[in-house]
Amino acid sequence: MALSSSISPQSKIFRGVPLGKDRNESRKYTRFEKARIIGARALQLAMGAPPLLEIPEGMSDPIEIALYEFENGAIPITVVRKYPSGRKELV
Amino acid sequence: MFDVVTEKEISDKLKELDGRIPWSILSELKSELERVKDKLSEEKLNRIVERVVEEYEESLVEANEAVGTVAAQSIGEPGTQMTLRTFHYAGVAEFNVTLGLPRLIEIVDAKKEPSTPMMTIYLDEEHRYDREKAKLIAREIESTTVGDISERTEVDVVNYSLVIYLDEDLMRESGISPKDVLNKIKKSLRNKKVSLKGNKIVIEMDEIDPLEMRRVAMKSKEVRIKGIKGIRRVMVRKEGEEYVIYTDGSNLKEVLKVKGVDWRRTTTNNIREIEEVLGIEAARAAIIREAKNTLEEQGLNVDIRHIMLVADVMTMDGEVKQIGRHGVSGEKHSVLARAAFEVTVRQLMEAGLRGEEDFLRGVVENVIVGQQIPLGTGGVELTMSPEVFRRLKRDG
Repeated sequence: MALSSSISPQSKIFRGVPLGKDRNESRKYTRFEKARIIGARALQLAMGAPPLLEIPEGMSDPIEIALYEFENGAIPITVVRKYPSGRKELV
Repeated sequence: MFDVVTEKEISDKLKELDGRIPWSILSELKSELERVKDKLSEEKLNRIVERVVEEYEESLVEANEAVGTVAAQSIGEPGTQMTLRTFHYAGVAEFNVTLGLPRLIEIVDAKKEPSTPMMTIYLDEEHRYDREKAKLIAREIESTTVGDISERTEVDVVNYSLVIYLDEDLMRESGISPKDVLNKIKKSLRNKKVSLKGNKIVIEMDEIDPLEMRRVAMKSKEVRIKGIKGIRRVMVRKEGEEYVIYTDGSNLKEVLKVKGVDWRRTTTNNIREIEEVLGIEAARAAIIREAKNTLEEQGLNVDIRHIMLVADVMTMDGEVKQIGRHGVSGEKHSVLARAAFEVTVRQLMEAGLRGEEDFLRGVVENVIVGQQIPLGTGGVELTMSPEVFRRLKRDG
């Protein structure tokens, strides 16, 4: 009853409009993106780049450090998402 | 006690979700919320809605996931457990139906006609509850040929003619008179003299030519007296409250025209026929239904989304295409991807003649040239994050 008036089959989700922009919720990385970011940062660290944060005692594995940096939002790397329409956006 | 939410608050809350979760989930959520609305505080409502959205987003496929490969594996593995050759008789001494792996292969190959075409014919409100009325329609649909009602065929050497002896009992049973038979045979054998003598049909020949005799005999036996072309046998069965007609052989277009048939529900297992008569969306639904039923009949449970993906790929160009050389795989854009599948040399040579270009956008091409594939982590493109960079600089 009231449902058909509030949510119609014409709503965005059925029209194929990308849900990105007007969704005011912070978008998450996919597991592939997360892996790439941490991988890239771990490689930098392995080749001698200084850590961006104060590293906890005993942490020496570059992947472990990269993960730590990622979880604290310190890695200055993000992802470009390309859509079939040609639109690009940063996550 | 807490403040119970009003109906308005619920519908306002749900309106916020428009575009975030699908309509079907939204309506289910709505009816569930209405059921328990007397025990709902605003906080509880918010928490429920939050959980539903979270749960839905969790179930979505992530970008760059290899859904096609996963679908192929998810259908292929159960396929190995299927009986290789099953000819199953539905019910007691009834139709022979292709099932199991052969049927599944038939579906993805998008064959012109299944090896055992079958129809399920539902009847309209007037006919569906009465066995006699259902039988009447069934008889109208079942095709009867001269061969079905003839006793034997003889060659009369003295008179240069072919004699077909009609069976009286069989004719009476299907309500056909010898006159009907004569007229139908006359129509299909225009240049022959055909006459009726009692229960005998006499076809006069110009000469005794065994080959010609044989040809005429075959042709006259196949003359259809009544019914719909292609419907070889019919069976009326009670299904719950109503009577349903099952047929051996399929002709959707003609059956839908028959009065008393419920054209909304009547269906066939011939996917090409559905495509032709009802359109591509119906064909897609038919592929999904047939594949799902085939797997379920074997006691296998495959997530319907894998099957839907297959059906989508097969129908996305507006016509049903098979999975294979003459369909999906053979029409790929990339030369290398096509060459990797089958008939490699010919593909490359023809592409060369046409001067085709390969943009290396797909997975197969990139595997061949030895590059990272655009899938999973390989499909991710990294850049600097200005936001984080600025913050790092500010904080030192």
